[in-house]
Amino acid sequence: MQDINIKKLQNNCFRQSKVAGEFMLQLRVPGGLIDADLLDIIKHVCNTWGDGKFHIGTRMTLNATGIKYEDIPAVNAYIQPYLERVEKEMCGVEMETDKGYPYIAPRNIVACIGGAHCIKAAQNTQKLAHALERILYPNPYHIKVNIAGCPNDCAKAHFADFGIIGCTKPIYDQDRCIGCSSCVNKCKKAATRVLSLNEQTHKVEKDACCCVGCGECVSVCPTGAWRRPDKEYWKIVLGGRTGKQYPRMGQMFANWLTTDTVLQIFANWPKFSEWVLGGKPLYIHGGHLIDRAGYHKFKEKILEGVTLNPEALIADQVHWTEKEYRSNIHVKALADHVTVKDA
Amino acid sequence: MEEVGLKRLTGDALDRYFGTLLDRFQIWAPVCIPAGGRYQGQDAVQYKPVSNWRDIVWDRRSDYSSREAILPITQTLYTFTGDDYREVKPKQAKDLLILARSCDIHAIRHLDEIFLQNGGYEDSFYRRVRDKVHFALMECTHEFDGCFCVSLGTNDTDDYAMRLAFDDEGIFFEAKDPSLDCADATPSDRAFSNPTENELKVEFPEFRSIEEVNELKSHPMWDEYNSRCISCGACTIVCSTCTCFETRDIVYSLNHHVGERRRTASSCMVAGFDAVAGSKGIRLEAKDRYRYKIMHKIYAHDARFHTGPMCVGCNRCSAHCPQLISYPATINKVSQALREIREQEVGYGE
Repeated sequence: MQDINIKKLQNNCFRQSKVAGEFMLQLRVPGGLIDADLLDIIKHVCNTWGDGKFHIGTRMTLNATGIKYEDIPAVNAYIQPYLERVEKEMCGVEMETDKGYPYIAPRNIVACIGGAHCIKAAQNTQKLAHALERILYPNPYHIKVNIAGCPNDCAKAHFADFGIIGCTKPIYDQDRCIGCSSCVNKCKKAATRVLSLNEQTHKVEKDACCCVGCGECVSVCPTGAWRRPDKEYWKIVLGGRTGKQYPRMGQMFANWLTTDTVLQIFANWPKFSEWVLGGKPLYIHGGHLIDRAGYHKFKEKILEGVTLNPEALIADQVHWTEKEYRSNIHVKALADHVTVKDA
Repeated sequence: MEEVGLKRLTGDALDRYFGTLLDRFQIWAPVCIPAGGRYQGQDAVQYKPVSNWRDIVWDRRSDYSSREAILPITQTLYTFTGDDYREVKPKQAKDLLILARSCDIHAIRHLDEIFLQNGGYEDSFYRRVRDKVHFALMECTHEFDGCFCVSLGTNDTDDYAMRLAFDDEGIFFEAKDPSLDCADATPSDRAFSNPTENELKVEFPEFRSIEEVNELKSHPMWDEYNSRCISCGACTIVCSTCTCFETRDIVYSLNHHVGERRRTASSCMVAGFDAVAGSKGIRLEAKDRYRYKIMHKIYAHDARFHTGPMCVGCNRCSAHCPQLISYPATINKVSQALREIREQEVGYGE
């Protein structure tokens, strides 16, 4: 029987198995899209040191199960080219790669295929995933980020600490509009019903405040009367999570952020985490840190020094609706509270 | 056509030449609309007035056709105030120089048929623009995906004031209209080239009788388009030969006695296009509308004008179809259906 520091291995992205002495490697795939030749690396790991099985991680990692503890140094040496290609070359992360991953805390950034392929996409998800990887990795504070290319949210951004959803602010050129109602019908069927045809002018009117920014109007427009601005917009849904205690759907924190604004906000995340946890990283996810700080404190810290783009909207209040497996789970002795006391 | 060496103009000299053209013409050319495409990150190429030759997109087929230079999608014809009305003046007094491919220039023939030769009536709004139009024939740098101009003989034309080919540094050109020549240009040995063969060859069916046409209407070949075609009309908006429009009076909201009469492009593919008095429609399903459009292109226009298919082989319609419906593939299906119909008729006779 071996003496194994499983916390250390967890940080190294080797997860403890039911079978003592065995581990599962999780290779990060920020954004979920990589060159296919890199699959040879995980395949070789599975077949050489693992049990010959391969698991597609729920957070889009490439997982090799059944790796023996004593083989971990050999596996780490073997995956160095993967880390070089994916973390350093693709994402521009600065890190050592000779001993495997230094941290597990910022979890692999999940993204749908987005603008790299999808006809529904409003934005390119991979580009943002790589930029965020650069900001968040490596770092000891836990955070789950999911990026969806459009408000369909196939990436389940609503169930991540930070769910980022690509959107667009379509521009309408009434001189190109033929009044065919395609956009009106599509918006009614697939989105938030914000368009209507003015029967008198045969041009389209929009209730802009309720537009979800999906861009369906652009995709169905036969004339190019609707077009996307040459600019990236995102919304952030905050504090979503799964779990045994009180899973909840994220709530809208920010809308119509440009990529630059999103990156500025994320640059404040490690600072915020450090403040909440008093500089001692714990294995708890971002949503709980926001709970401990309270939304208003979170908002103050996360927007510190951030220059918002003029269109940006930020939530004044956020009220989450939690699924409580046990009712009144939040009512407990004062001594058990974890609220941050401001220094 | 006699091959002559084109003249060369680049850089500053071309800037100056373009400036002299701009003094005389409003120059329409294909330009890039960044992010203007259907899907995220895709741009679009549309015809717009240009002021710098560097903005001209010459190495790809424009997504929308050059007809927009002559027939804007929306155009105000008259304004009215109380009992009075007046014709809206043309937006600018200069002549138009349209940089177009050979197929685009051929398309103007069909527009002329509709607006100048249809029922002995001339559309004055079309006429007043048409008389100002001069073409600069743009060389096709390569065959664009799906082109079939050669099948229709629209791969070459004499109807141009000048013709030109682009590269990154400037143009090679020949001025047929001597007033468009340029003393700063240098000779070159480069010739102008027209497409002579397309990878795609399309055989347009010839109809022998109206009975055959009517029988084709109920052929099952159209059924698949009910689930494939979404009746969006994108194919007709990018088409270089489509001309349908609707006319509408708009009154201003603060004074209902003041307003304007507009015409706006419309499409036989869009539901409601065929509504008659009482709102009754004739072609109620997508397949009916699609069949009508196809038959108009390959039969009905020719039946009226005897000038061949109302098509110049640019295939923008297929390139712009969000459902990836191919117009040439449809024509092939029509030819096959016609063969079936004719075989059946022979069978009955025996």
